[in-house]
Amino acid sequence: MGRALDDVVVIDLSRRFFTSLSAAFLGDFGARVIRIDAPEGAAQASGGRWNHEADLIHRNKESVALDLRCERGQEIMRKLLMRADVVITDWQLDQLTALGLGYEAVAALRPDVVYGRISGFGPQGTDLHLPAIDELAAARTGMMPILPQPGEPPVYTGSGAMHATVMLAFGVVTALVHRGLTGEGQQVDVSLFGANMYGAALDIQAFLAIGKGERFLNPISRLDVSNPMSGSLYPTADGRWVTLTMPDTDRWWPAFSGAVGIPPDEPRFDTHDKRTETNRLALIAALEQAFLTKPGKHWREAFQRLQLSADVIERFDYPTSDPQVLENRYIVELDHPSFGRVKSLGFPLFMSESAARLDRLAPCIGQHTGRVLADLLGYDADRIHELTAAGVVA
Amino acid sequence: MTKKALDGIRVIDLTVWFQGPVAAQYLADFGADVIKVERPQGGDQGRGVRSIKALPVGDWNQYFLVINRNKKSIAIDLKKPEGQKILYRMVEKSDVFLSNLAPEMLAAWNLSYEKLSAINPRLIYATNTGYGRFGGASKPSFDMTVQALTGIMARLGEPGQPPIYLGMGSGDAYGGIMSALGIALALYQRQRTGKGQSLDASLYGAQLFLAAPYLQAYLAGNEDSALQHSRKKAPNPLWNLYPSTEKWVFVCEPNDDARFSALCRALGAQALSADPRFAGAALRAANHEALIAALEVLTAKRSHVDLMKAFLTHGIVASPVNNLADVIRDEQAWRNGYFMKAYCEEVQREVDIRGLPITLSKTPGAVHSLGPQLGQDTELLLLELLGYEWDEIEALKATGAIP
Repeated sequence: MGRALDDVVVIDLSRRFFTSLSAAFLGDFGARVIRIDAPEGAAQASGGRWNHEADLIHRNKESVALDLRCERGQEIMRKLLMRADVVITDWQLDQLTALGLGYEAVAALRPDVVYGRISGFGPQGTDLHLPAIDELAAARTGMMPILPQPGEPPVYTGSGAMHATVMLAFGVVTALVHRGLTGEGQQVDVSLFGANMYGAALDIQAFLAIGKGERFLNPISRLDVSNPMSGSLYPTADGRWVTLTMPDTDRWWPAFSGAVGIPPDEPRFDTHDKRTETNRLALIAALEQAFLTKPGKHWREAFQRLQLSADVIERFDYPTSDPQVLENRYIVELDHPSFGRVKSLGFPLFMSESAARLDRLAPCIGQHTGRVLADLLGYDADRIHELTAAGVVA
Repeated sequence: MTKKALDGIRVIDLTVWFQGPVAAQYLADFGADVIKVERPQGGDQGRGVRSIKALPVGDWNQYFLVINRNKKSIAIDLKKPEGQKILYRMVEKSDVFLSNLAPEMLAAWNLSYEKLSAINPRLIYATNTGYGRFGGASKPSFDMTVQALTGIMARLGEPGQPPIYLGMGSGDAYGGIMSALGIALALYQRQRTGKGQSLDASLYGAQLFLAAPYLQAYLAGNEDSALQHSRKKAPNPLWNLYPSTEKWVFVCEPNDDARFSALCRALGAQALSADPRFAGAALRAANHEALIAALEVLTAKRSHVDLMKAFLTHGIVASPVNNLADVIRDEQAWRNGYFMKAYCEEVQREVDIRGLPITLSKTPGAVHSLGPQLGQDTELLLLELLGYEWDEIEALKATGAIP
């Protein structure tokens, strides 16, 4: 079967999880992704255990081990870049420039290259050189203080970096679409700062529009939520939590009130205004009592039966064994040559004519050096042998 | 007008609320001609967010207007066969059909992939289901109730605290960008094959990747990664949150001797640097609780401004933990176009909006208008794009297929 990016060669110069995963998504959908590794960087210590991280973020990739510190290594790098449709990187600008791997240098070799980079804080401004560390970006984004309950420390979620992963892939493929029509390449920049802002879209946009409000600046107790039936959390009899998202309460109240044992015509709660304004705190207290009477399992069954927009908050064990997840290949089972049957994160996208692939797990450092030099640069075995003996490649 | 990456791509945007609209917003920002299809009565439910009071809105409807920017709006009653015929004519002239309505509803309106791709085999048919195309799960799917299933909420926060939601719209935003990625991939593939396809980015599938590093570790047998962890027990005390007299600060340094010495110097704590319990990375990791407690005593006495000054002097990588009032003034965000100004018809003035988080150097995105009024382009599109005559339009109005 053909795949979307079958004719695309990607040079992967990434070091961080979120950028490497972005290149892996391109590989999942057909791109030939070639990682450039330092020859001595071999064997990430996995202590004899499965290197689950590498097998996610470097799946479907090839590895070329190349010494970029020597001129001959740099020359091979330049030749590879001439064959690259896409470069993916998260290196610091000064590192890239020093090695002749910045956008201008690469575009001089390959004018139509699509050059994608995850930065810390964007391509402009005084902070453009700050490192691409997600914690720094998240701390600047304004959401960390208001995620927990009042009095608790700020919360770092890690989700901003995962936004950056997908944003970069989208930006790169969009640039490829443009290149397909016009022949023009370009730079694509996604910063962890920008990605974190979009991971928390609504609160930031609301504050931009309103410009004030203590409820945007301080955590809101779960017992003081604006709408008792939306964005709320309640504990159940067995210590598990339920969460509700029924913002338009008029629509849900008839079925929901029955489930929690409140008469639908209970006069304190019989209009949306009473539920979300005048008697808001009373409703929160009533729901707190109601949910404590039964275990999580009971509530899930009731929510499912009544088709309510509510669920029980789960831990990772739930998606790991959820048939829905496996059926859609969001998590896949694979045969690992050393560790047997293992489960790994799969593919978040279904495409009818470009099924996501898992052709190979993470490569060993330099596993494909010979093949890539032969395929892309036309080097013969003698030449590759000589380069290997000279320590230029491995 | 400058050229854009997706110039010439027409998108039928039959979406409501947040995930679907935001996916189409990314396409519209980069130049696609996005036509939002809405029911004549009330349109997209996202227009009514003010009355729901699920979130503060302000004097202009920022919830709806920002994610539906750069779009046109056509009002069609798709329950009526006459309305469906209008949509079929749009399909002939479009590249992408995007919907986050339930697949059963689309089928009931004769808008299945089979039906629409028969009209236009080049059509890219994108859905945002709640739980995926396969497996048969059938229940309502909103951002937070789906996030609840992924396990990410349960692992955040201090032990014993309630689970933590990543923020309003966090899951929808992720499903939205995932969907935009799928559509871009399909557009690229179509340049080569000439054929469309169907694709799906579900809220559940996308959100499972929000915690990818931790979920993958869990799958490899690290059960601890599913659980809440205290910052008082962070494995590397040099990579952790510390309180000050005002804001918290996030220190991001590797656990090595040189960085530890520098941190101690910045905090004026030479004694700590000489403490045998913390001599070497292994001991610092082993005695992490004691070290965190000791560092916290020092940071808690000083303001974050004072701490950051000392960190800068000693080359310590750190950031204050800002709040939303700080971020909307953050020059770096404005400079990079992450925030922008746009004219808002509703209040007849410039307003501040989320801008463009993806920077394309030669074909940058742009915001030329905020979200459309319901059905504002209906007649014009029928006349100019779809080739209807006035008397046909009058007849359609008589049936109620358009308002």
